[in-house]
Amino acid sequence: MRAGRLVRQALSILLAALIPASLTAAFHPRRPPWSQETLEAGDVLLPTVLTWGGNLLWVDARSAEEYEAEHVPGAVLLNLENWDQLFPRFLDRWAPGENVVVYCSAATCELSREVAERLRKNGISTVFVLKGGWEAWKTRK
Amino acid sequence: MKFLLFLLCLFAGSAFGQLAWETTEQTFHSKPQDKEVVAKYKFTNTGAKPIKIQNVQTSCGCTTAQLKKTDYAPGESGEIETKFTFAGRTGKQEKAITVNTTDNPTQPTILKLHVYIEEMVKIEPEIVLWRVGEQPDSKSIHIMIADNSSAKIVSVISDNPALKVKLTELKSGKEYEAQITPESAAQPAAATLVIRTDYPPDNPETKYAYARIK
Repeated sequence: MRAGRLVRQALSILLAALIPASLTAAFHPRRPPWSQETLEAGDVLLPTVLTWGGNLLWVDARSAEEYEAEHVPGAVLLNLENWDQLFPRFLDRWAPGENVVVYCSAATCELSREVAERLRKNGISTVFVLKGGWEAWKTRK
Repeated sequence: MKFLLFLLCLFAGSAFGQLAWETTEQTFHSKPQDKEVVAKYKFTNTGAKPIKIQNVQTSCGCTTAQLKKTDYAPGESGEIETKFTFAGRTGKQEKAITVNTTDNPTQPTILKLHVYIEEMVKIEPEIVLWRVGEQPDSKSIHIMIADNSSAKIVSVISDNPALKVKLTELKSGKEYEAQITPESAAQPAAATLVIRTDYPPDNPETKYAYARIK
């Protein structure tokens, strides 16, 4: 009898906690996404990129030091800091119509979006940002 | 009793300390000669317990955030000073600074910095392209000078004589057109267009645009 009352009270507490938690999950402006695979416009997942074969130019938007340390094979370095020096080198490698995939360090970094945006402004339309950036490449299976 | 327990669960979060921010979002409009912007985000610990700022992360290597100390007693105020270095960026920029504190470790505060960076010289587009075999018709690059700048375009020179360039002033001192014409588009070719300005007088800025036949 006493045990039953305790269970009922425990369930009541659980229910009381569940109501605000559900409201937060549904309506909080900074709630985390249900799925980490949510793609923003212009983003692309690594498994998709790997199906593109040769019609692809990787662009590394990180610093020259990070690029020199390690980069995706065949990637060309292009960042806003040294745009005037690096953009002509990108143009020499790029072929019209080719898919361009830009990456930076991780999912949270903005450099790849900035570089992708500037390329699009210059009429290079098939530009994508790699979801997860260099970390996604390094941890690929 | 049950009702009291319900209220305790519902408002458990507010029993902790909290940081009250003067503002979490700031907007700046830069001048053409500016290279960086500094923004200060002020806060006060309005809770009853001390708060530790565990971590401040910026969304870009171009933005730094400085904090004089990490622990703040109830009623104590502080500020996070952020510096955004433009480094070639232009136009509308949005940067985020994530602040993690002990008062709510799972819900960091996101500080936002909006900066409109005005370019002294704006080039649109930076590249003109012909496909191999295409008609070698002229293509144009527009060069615009910021309203509050006295800079002028002195010259535009192509480093490849097979891709000729002609500069026309469309709006006195404010808007120019560089018209690029290839002799032929039968073969791949490349040119760098060197755009010289007269500002600043001691070290005039040079900009670049590109022409490619691919």
